[in-house]
Formats: sequence, C-alpha cells, structure tokens
Amino acid sequence: MKPIAITGLGAVTACGFGADRLWDAAREGRSAVREVLFPRILRQQVKQMARIADADFAPLLETAKPRFQDRTAILGVAAAREAVARAGLGPEDFGERCAIVVGSGLGGAETIEQGYIRFVEDPAARSDVMAIPKLMANSTASWIAMEFKATGPTLCISTACSSSTQSIGLAADLIRAGIVDRCLAGGAEALLIDGAFTAWEALHVMTTSHCRPFSRERSGMVLGEGAGVVVLESMEAAAARGATVLAELVGYATNADASDLLRPDQTGATTCIRKAVESSGVDPARIGYVNAHGTGTIANDLTETNALRTVFGDAFDGLAVSSTKPIHGHALGAGGALEFIVTVEALRAQIAPPTINFLGVDPKLGFEPVPNVARPFAADAAMSNSFAFGGINASLVVTLPGRG
Amino acid sequence: MAEGSEKGEDLRRSLLAIVAEEGMVKDRTIGVDDQLADLGIESADFVMILMAIEEKFGVYVPVDESLTEAKTVGALLDVVVAHIEEHRRQQVAS
Repeated sequence: MKPIAITGLGAVTACGFGADRLWDAAREGRSAVREVLFPRILRQQVKQMARIADADFAPLLETAKPRFQDRTAILGVAAAREAVARAGLGPEDFGERCAIVVGSGLGGAETIEQGYIRFVEDPAARSDVMAIPKLMANSTASWIAMEFKATGPTLCISTACSSSTQSIGLAADLIRAGIVDRCLAGGAEALLIDGAFTAWEALHVMTTSHCRPFSRERSGMVLGEGAGVVVLESMEAAAARGATVLAELVGYATNADASDLLRPDQTGATTCIRKAVESSGVDPARIGYVNAHGTGTIANDLTETNALRTVFGDAFDGLAVSSTKPIHGHALGAGGALEFIVTVEALRAQIAPPTINFLGVDPKLGFEPVPNVARPFAADAAMSNSFAFGGINASLVVTLPGRG
Repeated sequence: MAEGSEKGEDLRRSLLAIVAEEGMVKDRTIGVDDQLADLGIESADFVMILMAIEEKFGVYVPVDESLTEAKTVGALLDVVVAHIEEHRRQQVAS
C-alpha cells in the first residue's frame, strides 16, 4: 500500500485537552477513570468511567455553538482544530481537495436523551428546534467541514467501536485513489449520560471493579468519551507544503465476522490483522508495538490474543502489546482514532505504553501485555486494532517516516 | 419470604426459574446438569438472564471469566449465587 503522510493529531479525552495530554497519560499509565453518579439512574451498578471533566469542557464551550452542536460535535471540532494547527494547515489547504471522514457510534446521544426527557415530562413544551441537526450522526463531520471550508467528500462511518479506525482507513483509500489530497479523519463520541449509560449497563459487559485487559480476573470494560482527529495527506501534498510527517500510514484492512452481533469471531479478527499487515508490505517481525482493542472483556481479549499469536507467529513473543483503554476509557466511535494517536506517539517515542491494572497472566491466554509500566521498544512499525459490535474488524499499520 | 431475599435451595429454585424463562427454554423442565448449549442458551440469552437477576436480587453480575466458564445450568447458578452472596455481604458491611 502506498504510504500516506500523517501530519496532524488532535484529541479530547478525559485525560484532558490535546493529543499530548492523552499520550502523557497513556505513557505514564495515569488513568482518567473516576466515579460518576447519574441522578436519573435509580440503581446504578457501574460507577467508574472516563468522563471529560467540566473544567476541561468549559473552555471548548466558549468557542462552540451549543444551540446548534451536541457535545459530540463540540469535542470533534475541538480535536480537529488541534490536528489542523499541529499540521500547520492554512485556508488554502482545504477546499474540494480535502475530505472529512469522521464517525460516531451513537451520534448526538445527549441531544436525543434530552429531547425525550423534555417530551415525556411536558409533551406540550416546545421541542429543541435544532434537535435533528444536532443528533444526526454526521453532524460532527459536517461541522468540521464547515469549520475549515473543506468541500470535498464528507463521510460519517457509524460502525460502533470500529467507526474511527475505518474512518482513518477509508480516508487513506480516498487519498490513494486520487480523489482528494488530504483528509481530516477520526471519530467523536459522548454518551456518558443517564439513559445511554443505563443501556450499556444492561449489556453486562462493564466491570464494577477495574478494567484490566488481558489480565487474570478481568471482568469487563470501562466506558470513556472524547474525540480523535488526524490529518492525512498524500506524501506529495505534504511535501509540497513542506509539512513535517509524523508517521506514515502504510497498512489497513477491514472485514466482517458476519456471525454474531456481540460475540467476536477469531477467524474474522485473525484475517483482518493479517490482511492489514500484508497490505503494508511490512514484515510482521518489524512491527514492535500493537495497541490492542483490549476491552477487558473475557471474549475480546481471548479472541484478540489468539488472533495476534496466529498472525505474528514466532514474532509474537517479542511483540509489545498493550491496551490503553483503562486509561482513557473505551470511547467507542472515537476509540479507534484515540488509540491510533497513541500508537503513532508510541512509535515516535519508541515507548510502549502500559496495560494498567494488570494482575498477572491469564493461563487461558498465556500472554503478558506490557504490564503496568511503560517499556521501550526498538522498531519502525506499529499497529492499532479495533473490533466492533456487529462483528466489524479494522486494523491500521504505521511506520516511522520513510520506512514504509 | 420477601421477593429477592431467598436463600439456599429456595434461591437456586428461584434462579432456575429465571434461567428457564429468560433463556426461553420451552417444552421441558431444566435441571442443573443440563448443558447451556443444549438448551440453546446463547450470549444474548445470558444478558437477559443477568438483567432479570439484577432486577430481582439487585446484584450486578458482569460477563466475567467465571460466567463464561459455566457450561451447565448448575455451574451458572453457582456463579450467580456467589455474586448474590457477595453482594449481600457488602450490603451488611455498609
């Protein structure tokens, strides 16, 4: 696969505003997971989550349009602004040669919920007249397009936890196909509100303890929220404007299990990871770090471990693998982009961030991810995986500049 | 006895009824030795069963290792009973 330049990163998470805050927290193993109590949930069982603090959100509100933007779009636009600033893009770099591919799992969850609450409490009250444009899943992508006057294709991928990984992959495809020169790609999610959270509780996949991916005694995931946006450009477009290339996107694959809505399928995950590596042309032994999907559920971590072991073979033992979800939470439609950003930063720093809360090897996995403390690695390629409800898998491979 | 406060065999009987109803096991009585797979109880049924248990007993049982290891109805009941007993201990403690 022809390499695509990664020139900008932007992230808003519970770790704070900025990709640097995300990376610092990931590297230091500093979790943003806190107890949050929802007043409308009478019997809240799961209380831990990585919610963006009001103090971090307030500054974003100052330059946002809350009457017209759901929390999801506010986060998405903020992440895009950071990515654009870091890439050094100016007004002349947008227009019809720039695409926007920004996904979301649920779209404007807060707007949906507030609308229903208002309707049930007082059916005669005036509805939020902007409810529909705020809650539609493509709202964030469209606000980003308007912000920068990007008039190329604007797309919104909604594939649960794979949304933003597929967004980044599709963005690279659009650039490689010559349809656009550059693209802002990623995802945004903000569903840590009463109704959506209680629906997540009902699935019984969240832990009431700590999220400890791949560890023995793991008992489920922890939710997060946020937005991650990256700037991708053709190598020629990046060179033409003298941009600094942070890393190169060299491999991408996505496929479907087509077997079960909730239960992951090992064949599907294995095939996806293998095809992503193959598309990169990078020998698996050159990949030094994998940011795993690593939700901390029994099923995902078992499937993913077996899939990685199958694809990497003998190289698996030397591979640094971690899940950073216990730090920034599982941000669902934004998760893939946030973890891609962590992957790029890990590669640049040659430091594998830790899988925190790790108690010890689960004999059924026979595998130890980078446990509890970051560790250095020496390699010029890295990978990030996402496996979504709906059986949708997506994997990305990056290299240091010039190594693709 | 108050709803949701059953103990011992009463508790297990009560849970067995939940498994049968939420797992939509039809046309037969289920026993502790039955394999969950033979009863057609799959991942989605598990979630229904756990939700019903939560409603009745106030205890949240995540899909953790012990639960996914359970292959028989009896093993499933053992896991749930352990969670309920732990939940009750914590309630007494607090």
